[in-house]
Amino acid sequence: MTEKEITFTVNGTERELRVEPRKLLVHAIREDLDLTGTHIGCDTGNCGACTVYKDGEAVKSCLQFAPQADGSEITTVEGMEDLPEAGMGESDLHPVQEGFHEMHGLQCGFCTPGMMLAGKALLEEHDDPSETEIRQNISGNLCRCTGYQNIVKSIEYAADVLAGREPPESPVENPSSGVEATADGGEPDGGRTDGGRPLDLTREYPRGDGDE
Amino acid sequence: MKAAPFEHHEPSSVEEAVSLLESLDEPLVLAGGQSLVPMMRFRLAVPETVVDINAIDDLDYLRETDDHLELGALARHADVERSAAVAENYGSFADCAPLVADPQIRNRGTVAGSIAQSDPKGDWGSVLLAHDGEVVAHGPDGERTIPAEEFFLLPYDNSLDDAEIITALRVPASGDDEGSAYHKLKRKVGDYAMVGVAARVRLDGDEIADASLALTAVDITNVSVPDAADHLEGEVPSGDLFERAGELAADHSNPESDEHGSAEYKENMVRVLAQRALADAVRRARTDDPAGAVGSDQTAVGDD
Repeated sequence: MTEKEITFTVNGTERELRVEPRKLLVHAIREDLDLTGTHIGCDTGNCGACTVYKDGEAVKSCLQFAPQADGSEITTVEGMEDLPEAGMGESDLHPVQEGFHEMHGLQCGFCTPGMMLAGKALLEEHDDPSETEIRQNISGNLCRCTGYQNIVKSIEYAADVLAGREPPESPVENPSSGVEATADGGEPDGGRTDGGRPLDLTREYPRGDGDE
Repeated sequence: MKAAPFEHHEPSSVEEAVSLLESLDEPLVLAGGQSLVPMMRFRLAVPETVVDINAIDDLDYLRETDDHLELGALARHADVERSAAVAENYGSFADCAPLVADPQIRNRGTVAGSIAQSDPKGDWGSVLLAHDGEVVAHGPDGERTIPAEEFFLLPYDNSLDDAEIITALRVPASGDDEGSAYHKLKRKVGDYAMVGVAARVRLDGDEIADASLALTAVDITNVSVPDAADHLEGEVPSGDLFERAGELAADHSNPESDEHGSAEYKENMVRVLAQRALADAVRRARTDDPAGAVGSDQTAVGDD
């Protein structure tokens, strides 16, 4: 098997690699370039964790061979902070990254890089996408925590920042917004008496017959 | 799992691609690769050589001429989705594109590759059949065109010769009096069809002058409903007429029961979707908004 020499620009830096033709782009990015922010989830093209931004569009890097990236320009999650749009919001982050931070768009974080690059691709085309458009756009990205609600809000937040609109206030407690809130995204102590308190493992919790 | 080792060739012209296909041992053509790459990783496909046609810039186009809508072999699903010509005149193409997989896959996957794959659950075959389309193929003896009716032979098998590649798909230009639609039943967003129906009608005044129906995932290949034109020609569109056409489509379908639904259920869905697709096609033929939004359930459960 002849190895192939490929040259491509990844996050603004030209990189040269020698790869077996059968090496997937996602493996070249993770293993050869050590950019492990791009994740491998399902291995079948379903989950979208391996989504990268390539030559102006979002693609799944597990569905192409590395030599197919020869001559291309790729942005991975590690490069988002260096894009021209970065810093347009409150922080130095890319507005999409800031959106995920502010709106609590992640739980375990595994799907986050793919979700963010899918979101970036959408916002290149629409500066004011509807909720339906956002949901359609991330239909190729699975979140195993099923945290879709806040992922949608995060992309809406980024759309506001990119279009120069005032983004919504973060519902979650974090230092950059200064807004107090409970960890579940609700209002501070809104109807709950244990909001924000550390979990007491010795406490006996009441047993309801519902699905609590 | 990694794909088995293979040699990767990137021809820059159709002629070069064909001569590679002629000279190499058991090559496979790689276009979008959105089905082929996972098949190679599961070792369902183990080619010794891959002829990657992505560098053949001549094949990357989608255009409407006076006679045809033509998609080059590298036209991606997303190109169809974004095409103004498609949105204006080819309702079934406009319906079908966003129902294929997901945005990232539509950015890479090609329509011609999907036709070449010849999966009976693939959506584009029915759209091509309903539009009386043809496949343009290049081989060692030059170019030939294969009518869509003669293209699909068996699941994943078609009438392309070993050293031939698809260079384009072509359908006759859609007139102002024509309309078409594609309806698909699937279990979840981005899934393959459980049942799909493509319909196309041409009106002459109040009457239907010509019509066609084609079905996805209910036979061993994408299939046309043979008597659809005879059945509908000369008739004035009505709910009763569409219902009879739906019965005809269901009679011609040959679905199999599987874990997703019984044959009876699928046959019934052919009947239902054929009526809806025909109604949309007629409505589009009558209006200036041929690819206008259609109101229907595209999913089995819930909504997009």
